[in-house]
Amino acid sequence: MRIGTLKESYVADAALFDSATQKLWLGAGAALLVLFPFMASDYWLYLACLVAINVASAAGLNILTGYTGLVSLGQAAFMGLGAYTVAILQTRWGTPFLLNILAGGVVAMLGGLVVGIPSLRVKGLYLAIATIAASFIAHFLFANLSITGGTGGLAVPPASVMGVALDTSFRIYWLIVPVTLVLLLGAANLFRTRIGRAFIAIRDRDISAEVLGIPLLRYKLLSFGLSSFYAGIAGGLWAYFFRVVTPESFPLQMSIFFLAAIIVGGMGTILGSILGAVFMTMVPELLKFVFDLLPSTGHDMKVFLSPVRTVVFGLLIVGFLIFEPHGLAEVWRRIRRFFHLWPFRN
Amino acid sequence: MDWAYLFEISLTGLASGGLYALAALAFVLVYKATKVVNIAIGEMLMVGAYLFFAFAASFSLPIWLAVLGAMLGAGLLGAVIERTMIRPLLGEPPISAFMVTVGLGSILVGLVEIIWSADQRRLPEFVPSTPVMIGDAFLAPKVAYGALMAFVLIALVLLLFRFWRGGVALRATASDQGAAYMMGINVPRVFSLAWVVSAVIAALAGIVVGSIGGISSSMGVFGLSVLVVVIVGGLDSVLGALVGGLFIGLVEALAGAYLGGEYKLLATFLVLVVVLMIKPYGLFGTHEIERL
Amino acid sequence: MQSFQLSKTVSIGRRSLMIAAAAVGMTLPAAVHAQAGEDIVIGGSIPMTGVFAFAGVGINAGIADYVKIVNDAGGIKGRKLRYVPEDTAYKVDVSVAAYKKITSQNKVNLYYGDSTGFAKTINPELERNGQILMAGASFATELNDPKKYPHQFLVGPDYSEQVGILLRHIAKEKPGAKVAFVYSDTEFGRDPIETSEAAAKKLGLSVPIKIMTPPGSVDVSTEVIKLRRAAPDYTIFHGYILAPIPEFIQQGKQMGMTSKWMGTFWTMDSSTVMKLGEAGDGFMGVMPFRYYYDTSAKAPMLDKIRAMRPEYQSTAYTQGFLTAMLFTEAAKRTLDAGKPLTGDNLKAALNSIKDFDTGGIIGTPISMPGNSIPVGRVYRADMKAQRMVPASDWISVGK
Repeated sequence: MRIGTLKESYVADAALFDSATQKLWLGAGAALLVLFPFMASDYWLYLACLVAINVASAAGLNILTGYTGLVSLGQAAFMGLGAYTVAILQTRWGTPFLLNILAGGVVAMLGGLVVGIPSLRVKGLYLAIATIAASFIAHFLFANLSITGGTGGLAVPPASVMGVALDTSFRIYWLIVPVTLVLLLGAANLFRTRIGRAFIAIRDRDISAEVLGIPLLRYKLLSFGLSSFYAGIAGGLWAYFFRVVTPESFPLQMSIFFLAAIIVGGMGTILGSILGAVFMTMVPELLKFVFDLLPSTGHDMKVFLSPVRTVVFGLLIVGFLIFEPHGLAEVWRRIRRFFHLWPFRN
Repeated sequence: MDWAYLFEISLTGLASGGLYALAALAFVLVYKATKVVNIAIGEMLMVGAYLFFAFAASFSLPIWLAVLGAMLGAGLLGAVIERTMIRPLLGEPPISAFMVTVGLGSILVGLVEIIWSADQRRLPEFVPSTPVMIGDAFLAPKVAYGALMAFVLIALVLLLFRFWRGGVALRATASDQGAAYMMGINVPRVFSLAWVVSAVIAALAGIVVGSIGGISSSMGVFGLSVLVVVIVGGLDSVLGALVGGLFIGLVEALAGAYLGGEYKLLATFLVLVVVLMIKPYGLFGTHEIERL
Repeated sequence: MQSFQLSKTVSIGRRSLMIAAAAVGMTLPAAVHAQAGEDIVIGGSIPMTGVFAFAGVGINAGIADYVKIVNDAGGIKGRKLRYVPEDTAYKVDVSVAAYKKITSQNKVNLYYGDSTGFAKTINPELERNGQILMAGASFATELNDPKKYPHQFLVGPDYSEQVGILLRHIAKEKPGAKVAFVYSDTEFGRDPIETSEAAAKKLGLSVPIKIMTPPGSVDVSTEVIKLRRAAPDYTIFHGYILAPIPEFIQQGKQMGMTSKWMGTFWTMDSSTVMKLGEAGDGFMGVMPFRYYYDTSAKAPMLDKIRAMRPEYQSTAYTQGFLTAMLFTEAAKRTLDAGKPLTGDNLKAALNSIKDFDTGGIIGTPISMPGNSIPVGRVYRADMKAQRMVPASDWISVGK
């Protein structure tokens, strides 16, 4: 039972991982991540890679929406920008994949700035609506420019490390998961800095933040640019993972998916991004599993799998917003508190 | 410059703009009263169309009865939505209510797919099929009658807001909730009313849109064009819904005719971007004095 | 009351053990299944829900029925066929996931894919796997390329060939006619347009206008006005299932257009065309298969289908049925030659199919030298009889 924390220096107080328990758990988690690909089947590896990409993108969206309080429905469009950048660079110039992914992030960030400049000057949900517009404009560009291969899209050759092509889920796992971890670490560290605190101030009450000397437009743009950068990187990983990029790959529905992920996971926490992305990616699998268990009356029941999935998706968003607005991260925190304070109640 | 062609295109554009205006009206009603951006407006349209389909095709009721049934059903749905999903979030930041409507959209789409499957369907024909002729220009009858109904309804709503107690109460609640409470206005009742009426109007719009383009579980994307209309017209302005709708309808028609079908949506969203940059509160919206 | 012993080291160890056990548990089924390898597995990413559900359900039934017929007759050289489908809701990433799941749990030699997007995405994986012959619901022109897609094939003519069949028919009926194309702004819709425009010109036809509609567009009045202005003799719709065709035809007729209206495979299912209502009388289109109720010629397979399924089966069903038939034939020929079931061998066996009798499903014997079956017939809708009736002979546009 942990009664309190004792810190003897400012450095210790501001540290990300402060207790021995936490470090132990993280070590175990890291070990698990390393062992996982050797034990899992191809299908679970595929899921793991997909989850990791979603975690990266959700973390980016969380920076914008969870920490800075700006709703965006354009995460998928920025992922698309990153993915197409990677696809074009890889197919035309064969530049090293890390460079491509970085370039993808930068292009997406620039896109974010372009969208952000007009729409962040006005308060409220205008950013959300502007990002919807951005999604459509992006889709139009992807489908009609010749450099993006039109409606057919582009096929991406696999990334290769010293001659070894990363074309199986097992191999690309070792690219995706470390990149995601780096992004998560970056986001976690961001909120120990002045910039991160400024974001939180903007979310809580932006007029006060301005009074305190935080230039609103600049910091909002920074937040939007960062979140787009994350989306671009996630999109680049996506391109190397699926190896085909088409204009239909990044629909508005995907942006809604990420928004749902951070709502369900918990806005404003890194853990929330992870939990939300994992949960929302695995729920369809869970539903499929449940449907398989149902007595097989021919194909009658399976027809309802997809609409039930849609309904469950919507119910999760609504349910969490009404009953648990701080998401799964809050649930997790409550469980941890229970164990910390046991045998006391609270 | 083929003037006859331009006239014909513009006429059709304005008429389909009337449909946008109708759907935008439903949106504006909710925003005006409760400050909630209802992004599920397209899905509520869809529900109205499917209810009509159920009554008219599956139960074979006469058309007028089916329309009535759809309106009642939609109104009920509006009330339920307001009570269960919007009311609990009253004190929360508007982002929460917005995201609830995002979830609501998914729920509605899924429910429709469960009950009626995702197949595309046609609604029973009930509009007379002689084309409407204005001079030498053809106007498809469905679009014409739909636009006509839109104008009538908007005029009705404008009048109600001015002269009916309920309409005045709605405007009062919209401008200052606290003062409205003090004046004895039952604010929660006003909220319910706004959602019910909005749902009914959305259902009517859905029936018209459905009878033109058929119904399917992906009809809701119509709501995105409506979003552009309300931004252009002003999120809380009924007149803006009308003007914005006509304007966007015209822009889309001209873009489709002179540039090509793939430019329709692009043109619409470019207009959105321009409006956001120059006049973010739209043509007739109320200015909120919060700008950076 | 139980008292916890929450010593940290124990809990970490226990938790890791649980997770390790679960992970091993996940891999076990794969190991077990690898042993049961005698069955020939047909995997399927089938769109049983979503926008393509009506087709997916039909395809699923068609494949399942043919597999049943084969198994009832003893299988292929004593080996039974096993059909393993997964629903994809017509989404490419779900489709890919289904493929990975099925191929990791079974030894798959034949696969049915639900879309063009899936076929293109999965091609590199398919090549790496090397054991699978794949077909699907797509008739994309791009897939009809044995060099780029060596282990895939189309069960029917590709979209360009389909429009080509329509154009041939038009050129015969009315030489020098004006043909308009109305298509959707999707990959599906854009697919055959360029090649078809060139083909039309070669046949002496002119293309006064090509109209592209945004997907999911509700109001097509402006497009109809454009179409009317071009005054075509024939209008070919492509890239749609139903909407917005009825609206086009209705408004076009109201505005006095005299064009004849035509469609391609996915519009031409009998039940879909009948939904056009009054406006659809005389609607024509290309269909490579005989319809369920067709009794115009001897068709033992159609009789069998009618015996198995007393209610109307869609053309999607027929497509699935024929796919299974071709899969079976390829597997049979490979095994007959004593070769193992690999992608290369199966494809070679498929390509050796010459003048093959499909039991009446396609009106002429077919050959498969390339990736498609470039044969089809033009049908016309007879609204009074609620049937599709043949409007031409079987036309082959083979290269």
